[in-house]
Amino acid sequence: MANERLRALEDVEKEIAIILHCAGTIVMELSKDKHNASLIDRQLTQFTGSVNRVENELSSQIRYLTQVATGQPHEGSTYSARKDCQMALNRAEYTRMKLGELARTCEIMLDPQT
Amino acid sequence: MATQRVLPQSKETLLQNYNKRLRDDIRSILDNFTEIIKTAKVEDETQVSRATQGEQDHYEMQVRAANIVRAGESLMKLVSDLKQFLILNDFPSVNEAISLRNQQLRSLQEECDKKLISLRDEIATDLYELEEEYYSSSCGQWDGVELPLCEAFRRRDSWGFLDTSSEPGNSSTEELERPPAQEAIPRHLNGHGAGTGDQC
Repeated sequence: MANERLRALEDVEKEIAIILHCAGTIVMELSKDKHNASLIDRQLTQFTGSVNRVENELSSQIRYLTQVATGQPHEGSTYSARKDCQMALNRAEYTRMKLGELARTCEIMLDPQT
Repeated sequence: MATQRVLPQSKETLLQNYNKRLRDDIRSILDNFTEIIKTAKVEDETQVSRATQGEQDHYEMQVRAANIVRAGESLMKLVSDLKQFLILNDFPSVNEAISLRNQQLRSLQEECDKKLISLRDEIATDLYELEEEYYSSSCGQWDGVELPLCEAFRRRDSWGFLDTSSEPGNSSTEELERPPAQEAIPRHLNGHGAGTGDQC
């Protein structure tokens, strides 16, 4: 859920870049002696559409934040689960180390040269 | 009495500020772009010379284009502020992210422990077989200090045999007191297939 909202805001950033690009393309096209009317129409349609999308998306995000924001800091944590997992990984690592020592001992015992 | 959730003044002020910035930036982009398009129209009659009018229009367009770019950058800053506000204050998504992370960590921990337990069981099985082989050989007499695994299982089984049977005779007591090398073959044999009298 959080990733979707953050991705939506990233899409808004791309739309803002499209707005500026379209505005520049239209002005550049108007500066020419012979205008390409279809290109100008396409760019203008994209410009207005992007402006509307940006405004609607940002408004909805601000509305959502007005509803869910409490003003209090969040006190959740994943510390206990992380610690338990870290201990389990330490147990596995210790086991691996001990089995390695046992294997080396067996190799030394079974080596015919020693 | 209708309950109304009241945000702290700072948060409410902040969100109103976001709304204002959004409206102002969008209006700035649209107004300046519209004025650029209007200024691009070539007029036959001008109050000053064409060159002067051209210079004026050029300067105005530059300023308005700079205003559009400034409004675009202000919108980008607004998006960045909204992202930060969302990460810090969107409690439903923060709770979901925390529970998902806890779930992942706990499943990893359980998988790790499960594998360690299965490894322990395998090693215990192998150790039992090795000890049985070792202590049933002539060089592996139990000195009574540390109870080997095979002997522990053997005694547990013999106690279980005594509990189920109803003959408290001397033979069972003698059987317990005999040294392990002279005991009868245990019921749960390993894959070596050791039978009666096979002990060295």
